[in-house]
Amino acid sequence: MTPTATAPAEATKTPLIPPSTHRYADVIHRLEAGGSMLPDTPENLKQIIGIYKAYAVPMDFYWRDLLYIAEQVFLNPLPAFKYFISQEYLDLPNSYAGDQSRLRIWRGGDKAHPELLEFMATGETGSMPKLLHHLWHDRVNMEFAEACMQAMLWHQGMGGRFNDYLESDAYKANADRAIRAYFKGNPVMLGLYKLFPEMFLEQVRQLSYTANLGLFWEVMAPVFFEMSDIYDEGGFKGVPDAMNFLVNGIFAVAGRPIYHHVFIGGECFEIIPKSEGFTWLYEAALPYVEAVFYRTSPFRGTKSYNAQAGQVPSDQASFHYGILYADVYPVGSAGIPPTLLMQDMLHFLPPYLKEIYKQHRRGEEDELIQLGITFQRSMYNVTSAVIQALRCALLYPLDDTDPEHLMANRRFFEAQMDRFLRPEARLADIQTQDYR
Amino acid sequence: MTLLLLLLIPVVAAVLLPLLSAEANQVRAAALVAALAQVGLGLWLWQHPPGELSLRWLPQLGLQLDLGLDGLSLPLVLLAALLTVMAVLSTPAAQTRPRLFYALLLATNVGLVGSFLARNALLFVLAYELILIPTTLLVAIWGGPRRSTAAIRFLMYGAVSGIALLAAVMAFGWLQGGGLDFSFAALAHHSLTPTQQRWILALVLLAFGLKLPVVPLHGWQPLTYSQAPTPVAMMLAGAVSKLGAYGLLRFGVAFLPDAWSDWSGWIAAVGAISAIYGALNAVAQLEMRRLVAYSSLGHMGFLLLALAAATPLSLQGVMAQMLAHGLIIALLFCLVGLIEIKTGSTEIPELSGLLNAQRGLPFTMGLMLLALMAAAGVPGQAGFVAELLVFEGSWVAYPWPTLVCILSSGLTAVYAVRLFNRVGFGRLDNARADWASTSWAERAPALVLTALVVLGGLWPTALTGFSDADTAPLALRSSDAVTVIATSTPQELTA
Repeated sequence: MTPTATAPAEATKTPLIPPSTHRYADVIHRLEAGGSMLPDTPENLKQIIGIYKAYAVPMDFYWRDLLYIAEQVFLNPLPAFKYFISQEYLDLPNSYAGDQSRLRIWRGGDKAHPELLEFMATGETGSMPKLLHHLWHDRVNMEFAEACMQAMLWHQGMGGRFNDYLESDAYKANADRAIRAYFKGNPVMLGLYKLFPEMFLEQVRQLSYTANLGLFWEVMAPVFFEMSDIYDEGGFKGVPDAMNFLVNGIFAVAGRPIYHHVFIGGECFEIIPKSEGFTWLYEAALPYVEAVFYRTSPFRGTKSYNAQAGQVPSDQASFHYGILYADVYPVGSAGIPPTLLMQDMLHFLPPYLKEIYKQHRRGEEDELIQLGITFQRSMYNVTSAVIQALRCALLYPLDDTDPEHLMANRRFFEAQMDRFLRPEARLADIQTQDYR
Repeated sequence: MTLLLLLLIPVVAAVLLPLLSAEANQVRAAALVAALAQVGLGLWLWQHPPGELSLRWLPQLGLQLDLGLDGLSLPLVLLAALLTVMAVLSTPAAQTRPRLFYALLLATNVGLVGSFLARNALLFVLAYELILIPTTLLVAIWGGPRRSTAAIRFLMYGAVSGIALLAAVMAFGWLQGGGLDFSFAALAHHSLTPTQQRWILALVLLAFGLKLPVVPLHGWQPLTYSQAPTPVAMMLAGAVSKLGAYGLLRFGVAFLPDAWSDWSGWIAAVGAISAIYGALNAVAQLEMRRLVAYSSLGHMGFLLLALAAATPLSLQGVMAQMLAHGLIIALLFCLVGLIEIKTGSTEIPELSGLLNAQRGLPFTMGLMLLALMAAAGVPGQAGFVAELLVFEGSWVAYPWPTLVCILSSGLTAVYAVRLFNRVGFGRLDNARADWASTSWAERAPALVLTALVVLGGLWPTALTGFSDADTAPLALRSSDAVTVIATSTPQELTA
């Protein structure tokens, strides 16, 4: 896929509407000109592309293992080996990348990325049994992926119809069939299911979100790989190019089905069939951005909300743990950054990004922090792509000549920026290159 | 002559340093070699106890170069020598006017070691006074923004202390008859009346109370400790203040036992007041150096209590507390100095999140935690052993002041936790956290001091073993009953 700009690269010469008076007016004007919330500088471009590459490699594992857990491990009461992904899932061709894909949009390979396979074999510590790598945490930290899934489950209705469907009779009937098939010949578990059916259903709901996130990241991994390749080939001229590539990607797969299939004894149980019409953009991407980027969840034990009892606040301002707000210092208190993801990305940093880190702050010593801040920058760019995609889907083109339409766009952008007025938001920080 | 060598090493180094090139690293290396040589010699003398050295100097004035090393002075000589090494190591590599700085630091060492080695009261006074000049200059030239005020105040209080000590020593010489003999042996066998003893003790208490210091003679201490450069604060709090306790032990408990016994109740009360006053002030401080300074003041109160009790156990506690506190307070100042170098601040409200593993000062804060635990008397560290001996030894004589001191020891934990919680935890300000991590060279003095603090906790004999035999004869009370045995001679006690 080649990058194509969906918005004019330069601002209109004679503005049809007055300048914004919003605190983030500069950012809004940049978005109106087809840019990103992240300033367009060569270093920003280098940083975000570099981190996309580092993110894509563990993400290639995340989506495979999430689908493995949702489809194969399922309700295993002792899922101690759920991170020991089967070869079948490691070899699973991406649905949208590579020669064996069902619909080839991105380049990609046929199996898991070679860098991932190499890391899984040796890790940091060298060649040793898989179990030791696992126990030593010398591996891809699936705990991060599961935390993202749990954030989506925890916050529930973050858009789309997916969450409501999990309460439907059709879903419960499908889940019931799968549960009974899975525990066939196991009177203890079937007895427990009879006694506590909601507990089992809740587990299946969690697995449905696991599948949802796996399918979401199956798309994102090849997007990030390809962005890295294009940059290496000199294809991106600036941050807006990178953002537009993401916008185009979003539209290219917006309609991909989101489903949950379980394979039990060679038979496929469709807990959420594709025929329900759940799509990637509305049932996965937007809920993911809302739940994970804008909210996430407090460190366990610091706050107590019962999600099942509907106690989780729906107001986004009640949360500041998502990457757009997070304090990247892993201090073990409020402001939990994706520390485990940062640790995962550390293994796959491209050399040019390591070179940047060496030149600033403590160099190699605090790479983890520097890459966390880079990740924050890159996710502001991803969020910009989502905002532009929403504007594109719901409102008007940026080069529209009708002032009312432009004002509608303006109001949309201002409403989006209002979400970053809180002091915890890092939007102001990423406007300067000093924030490292 | 080896005793003289202990003094000559820093003297020669201090004299020769100004002749070296102005390159800071060279001067530092030379000062370090001299200080290390002194430590090495001190350790050798520990294993090979020397005889006393007596050289005629000014016999007309009763001034003899009488030097000796016993169980009271050996540990303090080693402490002073070690802290000099640590002070040199803690000095920034790019120290301005290095030749003068290190020469003055070594001159302070000469005064300290000279005082501890002196076996002649007049010689003691000379060495005692010698400390005042270099330390004042060190504060005045290299101190913080209020260094002038701090140096003047330190000088004034120090001068009064010196004059009071000189007056006490001269009074000793004049009142005991039989010519001017200021040797310790003569002072130990004086024939002063109880009234004369009390007058002299008043001067001794004033002199060493100012040096220690204790409330209400502490006016110079918080400002001087907070304004002095880190290596100087380490020397002042770690070694120079111990001269006050050592002086009270030598001149008060040993030479004036009757008067000491008469006033010991009041002295214990002053110790308890100092302890609680220091601890409460430390709790209220918003600046780390001042917090450590008030913490030191509180711990000096423990020393005074133990001296007042003067039981065999409490006197062991005095020696242990001098060593433990000397190490702990030097460690605390060293760590605060490191934080200041890196972050540019010692203000508690300005700092937070320094425990952050990537961008904070986790190593420094880790040692800070150990140092604060040691100051709070947590078991397994030197502070615990020393405080336990002080409290256990003082309880039989002065239970109420001891209780107050125990309470203030509890308050140590309050300000230690408060400091660590505010500075170590919380959010590290990213805009501010643009400093390099500490190098191993910077960590070295703190590491050595920490190791010794832990060693003192795990092996308490290291703190008390030096001086057991020399403190027992000085005891004025039994450790297990409030029996005043001040009239007993050391020989009777030993028997």
